[in-house]
Amino acid sequence: MSQIEIVIDEKKYAAQEGLLLIDLLIREGLKVPYFCYHEALGADGNCRMCMVEIEGQKRPQIACDTNIKEGMIVRTKGQMIESVRRRILELELINHPVDCAICDQAGECKLQDFYMDYGLYDSKIDQAEKVHHKKHIDLGSNVMLDQERCVLCARCTRFTSDITKTHELGIVGRGDHARVTTMPGKKLDNPYAMNVVDLCPVGALTSKDFRFAQRVWFLTSTPSVCHGCAKGCNIFIDHNKEKYKDERIYRFRPRPNADVNGYFICDAGRLSYKELQENRQLEMLIDGMVSKEDEAVACYHKLVADGGKIVILADANLYTEELEAIQKYAHILGAQLCAPLESYRDESFGDDWLKSSQRAANAKGVEKLGIAQILSTDPVALLINFNHPDGSKIKAQKSIHLQTHQMEGKADLVLPLAPFSESSGTLVNEDGIEQFCPKAIWRNEPLMSAIEWIDLLQGGER
Amino acid sequence: MSFVFSEENLAKIEALKLRYPSPAALSLPCLWMAQYQDGHISLEAIEVIGELIGTPPMEIYRVATFYTMFHLEPIGKYHFQLCKTLSCALCGKAEVLEHLIQRLGIRPGESSDDGKFALSQVECLGSCGTAPVMQMNDLYYENLTPEKIDAILESLEGEHR
Repeated sequence: MSQIEIVIDEKKYAAQEGLLLIDLLIREGLKVPYFCYHEALGADGNCRMCMVEIEGQKRPQIACDTNIKEGMIVRTKGQMIESVRRRILELELINHPVDCAICDQAGECKLQDFYMDYGLYDSKIDQAEKVHHKKHIDLGSNVMLDQERCVLCARCTRFTSDITKTHELGIVGRGDHARVTTMPGKKLDNPYAMNVVDLCPVGALTSKDFRFAQRVWFLTSTPSVCHGCAKGCNIFIDHNKEKYKDERIYRFRPRPNADVNGYFICDAGRLSYKELQENRQLEMLIDGMVSKEDEAVACYHKLVADGGKIVILADANLYTEELEAIQKYAHILGAQLCAPLESYRDESFGDDWLKSSQRAANAKGVEKLGIAQILSTDPVALLINFNHPDGSKIKAQKSIHLQTHQMEGKADLVLPLAPFSESSGTLVNEDGIEQFCPKAIWRNEPLMSAIEWIDLLQGGER
Repeated sequence: MSFVFSEENLAKIEALKLRYPSPAALSLPCLWMAQYQDGHISLEAIEVIGELIGTPPMEIYRVATFYTMFHLEPIGKYHFQLCKTLSCALCGKAEVLEHLIQRLGIRPGESSDDGKFALSQVECLGSCGTAPVMQMNDLYYENLTPEKIDAILESLEGEHR
């Protein structure tokens, strides 16, 4: 297809012939309202919000069903087109309850945004005259449905029919009585179901896990990568620090990346944020007793000075930078380093889309660095375990565990380790794509990352 | 309770399959056959149709809920569908409706407790020249008057005995 030029709002833009006009508008950051169009789902043309004026055409056209042609002159602004949008929006709002104040979507709702852009009229419909539907229906898979808030854009039904091909959702009935629902007695049930919550442009589909936990305008979004498996789906970590409290993560959201996960993530990954807040190891422990930093460092030096064979285990979820530091550290100590990847395999988890059976986020990083993967079964004098799940399988006389989460079994020294959200670094996903994760969470009393611990234990300053 | 298409209907479906490029085109004919067979369309029937024509049941369910002439719940055996559009309304539909309500003891949209009768009002039946008009199952009754309704009900009673 050839490169052509078109004019939008008196400005020239270069684009490929045949490209959807709405894609160009979105790419160039030109404001165009839409409910039903979604890059992953394609055009459906049912919401009629993305109307634009095209010179030579009698009526306004929907940008999501218009292919770009040479010499096209498009207007997205102006009194005429704005009045068209206002009227379409008014139709969408006829039976909408307009209960933004108590709606969980408020703040990230397209309907609310467009009303502020194009609406701003008083309602002509009395609340009592509106057609009522069912509210708070538990669809299953952590998704709640409010049929009254729905604008019938069919994004959710297209997701279950075109993307997951599980066909749980559909629009039934017609006219005022049309509504999204599942088949009677059936539930929304697939491992990617919660993506419909992100797809829903309004407050009709909300997450049972997130709703009413936090207003979205209080949340800070930090780009990151999911550590649920080796796929490395891109996510946003949405977090907030309430006064005096420790910073908390409220949800993971998919972050679009065409090379890795497209627009979606799996439900298991989405809910994996909870693990970062439960059962965490926050104290230094010597023989199970809470101790101070200088005591812990002294204990470490004593354990290392005792001599004998040292084995270091490294978690394959650690960042590449951390693994490199551990590699150097093992070399200095003369220790044997290994990071068995077999421990992370879970064949029941994987599928042919976004879920990988290798559940270590940086398994490829471990391979690339050439770290040994065989778990030694010979008895050793000292084990230093950087958060590997198989730490207790090694027969060691003495052991030091750097843990993000509380561990079972005895250890001579336990040091708290910052999880991925509380440090930064690079991951290599299973397809060899390197991705950087910045630090998202700043605790009141920060925990040290593997690199910081190694510096401190080797005599550096904290 | 499970649903099975009769041999005759199954043969019809197979014959219809040859007519269209995709068997999914048979949603409507299959729904009709199921409704004629059972009097209504059960969820089991929808599952069966889905399997027969290789379409997810949700898609069939959407079609079935869209059309008012498909009944997803059992209704009375004799379904009185009285036209409520302009010509019939002007030519005495109200009187006929009132009489039907009196005689059947049910309101439009309801079925009688004995499962015999159902009453509804429908849009134009396309027989304005003979208004007021009513469709009982697949039969048209034209130029209706309360007396004619009595005669129809009597003949149906006779049929029952």
